[in-house]
Order: sequence, then C-alpha cells, then structure tokens
Amino acid sequence: MLPQAKRAAVSFVPQQRGGVMEFFKKTLDPIIALAAIAVLDIFMFLIMGAWTVGGGETMMTGLIAKGMIGDELERLPFWSIVFPVHGDYWKIYISLGMLFGAFVGAVLSKEFYLRVPRHLSEWLLITIGGLLMGFGIRLAYICNVSTFFGLMPEMNMGGYLAMSGILAGAWVGSLIYKKLLEAE
Amino acid sequence: MMTPVAECFVAFLFGSVAGLLMQRSRFCNTAALRDAIMFKTYRNTKAMLVAMMILTIGFTGFMSLGAGHPLQFDVGLNTFAGLFLFGIGMVFAGACTVSTWVKTGEGNLGALWALIFTFVGMFLFSLVWSASWWPPAPQTMTGQINAPALQLGFANAQTLGEKFGVPAIVFGLVQTVVLFGLYRGILKRERAQHAEHEKHEREHARKKAEKAAKAAAANQTA
Repeated sequence: MLPQAKRAAVSFVPQQRGGVMEFFKKTLDPIIALAAIAVLDIFMFLIMGAWTVGGGETMMTGLIAKGMIGDELERLPFWSIVFPVHGDYWKIYISLGMLFGAFVGAVLSKEFYLRVPRHLSEWLLITIGGLLMGFGIRLAYICNVSTFFGLMPEMNMGGYLAMSGILAGAWVGSLIYKKLLEAE
Repeated sequence: MMTPVAECFVAFLFGSVAGLLMQRSRFCNTAALRDAIMFKTYRNTKAMLVAMMILTIGFTGFMSLGAGHPLQFDVGLNTFAGLFLFGIGMVFAGACTVSTWVKTGEGNLGALWALIFTFVGMFLFSLVWSASWWPPAPQTMTGQINAPALQLGFANAQTLGEKFGVPAIVFGLVQTVVLFGLYRGILKRERAQHAEHEKHEREHARKKAEKAAKAAAANQTA
C-alpha cells in the first residue's frame, strides 16, 4: 500500500503545481473573477460590511496627515467629528490587501515591471484625475466600489444617486478625454 | 462580534484575493464605464453587472433575514455631485479606486501618482468641509429629509421591506431582473456588432478577390 500511496502523492504534486502556474499564465475571465469576489463580498457583508475603498483611503489620508502635522490635525472638525484617525480601521486593510494581491499576481505571472507615463500631459491628467477622485469621494461620502458593490445591491437610495452621478461624470470625462486625444 | 484585529485580518485577506483576481482578469471599473461609453465594448461592464446581480440577491436575501451590515448614512445631492466629480476624475486618471491599487501593485507609477493625489484631494475636501461644515457629518444625520442641508434621508431594501410589509429579497429580485435585462441587452448588442464585423470581413474578402481576378484578367490580355 505504501509504495502506491507514495506514487500517488508524487504524481499529485506536479499536477497541482501545473494547475496553479496555469492560473498565472492565462488572463482570467473578468466575469468569473467578479463573481468570485461578489461571493466573498457577501461573506464580508455578513460579518463586517460590504466592500468599500474610499473609507480606508480617507483613514490613510488622516494617518499620513497626522504623521506630518501631529495633533494639530484634530483642530480640523472633519478629522475630529467625521473621521477620527485610528490605525485599526478594517477598510484600510482591504486596500493594502489589494496592493499585495495584485503584486503577488503580477510577480507570479511575470507581469511586474515599472510603467512610467511618458508625456507631461499624462502626468497632468492623472494629477487632476486623482484630485477629482479624492475630492469627489469625500463630498459624496462614498466611492465607486461602495456604489456598485455595496449601495446598489443593498438598494440604498444613495446607490441610485451615486450611479447617476458616476455615469454622468464618466460620460463628461470621456467627452473631454476624446477632445484631448483628437487635439493631440 | 469580532475584534478590530480580526476585522483587519479578514479585510486584508479579502483585499488580497480581490487584488489577485483583479490583476489576473484585468478588471477595471473605469473601463467598465469608459469603454462602454467611448468604444462600445463591454468586457468589463458585463462582469460588473454579473457581480451586481449576485450581490443584490445575496445582500437583500440576508437583509430579509435581518442579517448583514448594510451601509447606514443619509444621502443627498452631495452624493450625486461627488460621484460626478469622481466619474470625470477616474476617466482622466485612467483608474478608479480599485485599479489605482491594483495597477500600483503591478508597478504602474502613474497609478501610484493618481493614488497620492486622491489622498491630496481627500485632504483638500477635509479643509473645505471643516470651513463650511457642509454636507452634514454622519453623526448629525437623522434618516429623514433635511431640505436646507440638501439631504434626502435614508432608505434601502430593508426599510422598503418594512414600509411595504414584504421581504427585502422581493425588491432585490426586481432589481436583479432589471440588471439581467441590461446584461442581455449588452449580449444582443455584441452579437449584432459581431454579425456586422463578419459582414464587413466578407465584403472585404469579396472585393479583394474581385480585384485579384481583374488583375489576373488584365495580365492575360496583356
């Protein structure tokens, strides 16, 4: 029995490795990826709450600001009333996890390399884009992830408002982006 | 009740799996909206709709049983305005909140730059809010309409269920059917695009064959 069992174990391991490595060779169908994430999001909804990103990013902003200016930050009502800064806010770790998971995926699939925008205009657009995203998330109190993967599926009224806003914004943004591309 | 450390661990685990799957599938929320608007391609849009259908059934199903932790805060015109700005921003930056993290993990310095300025944008908002105190902080929200503050109160599948005396899942199923209708509409559009593409290919091949035949005939005459 023992030699057979040993052989089975030996033949099993390479197959498993092949299967895992195969995962990092092919591009995954986004429908499968998102369906799996949705199921996990339901589990997280049951124990803590639905997937969001903006909240964690805001807390990180607060932590960075506190690191730079210390307790002076609390003189701003936003950071004392809305978002008191503390490091054990779970949403921070979703974002850090995404960074880690993507890094692992990119390294194992040999897709990790430094990509640098070439033109000054790209840097400028990204800067404006980042500022608008950050300002917009806090003005709305929610981000795009909480809109599509939290509020909308909970049928929160805010989800419909947010979705209308993001669609209108994406449409206006696309029009401007198209004009800029044509002008180049 | 979980300890904060356990919550952080679960969140990190979820984020890691989500980040890995996003990286391997090249899913991007920005692309889901931008590509549908600009290029009429729906690879990411379909995935987003499938996730929303699963989540709607899951969330409203558990909400019917009184389980889960729905987001609780009032919404108002700031919700629309904020996401409007966000929508423009994500197209400019070429990444949303998810893809800034995922692309940064892949070594994209542009995405890291977008992330840094998202933080800067958030801090700028905190300054503006601290000076104006608008819109109201979540602590001052009442769940009711607050016209002077442009707030519309709070409602979700659970409150709708309580108001109409039916389980939240009923509303969830209605929403799922609507989302499925959109998904089917996209599939139909893709089939039409494919048929159109094939028609052009056939037309192109026919013209090429005709040209070749004409050239051959001209050669023979010569």
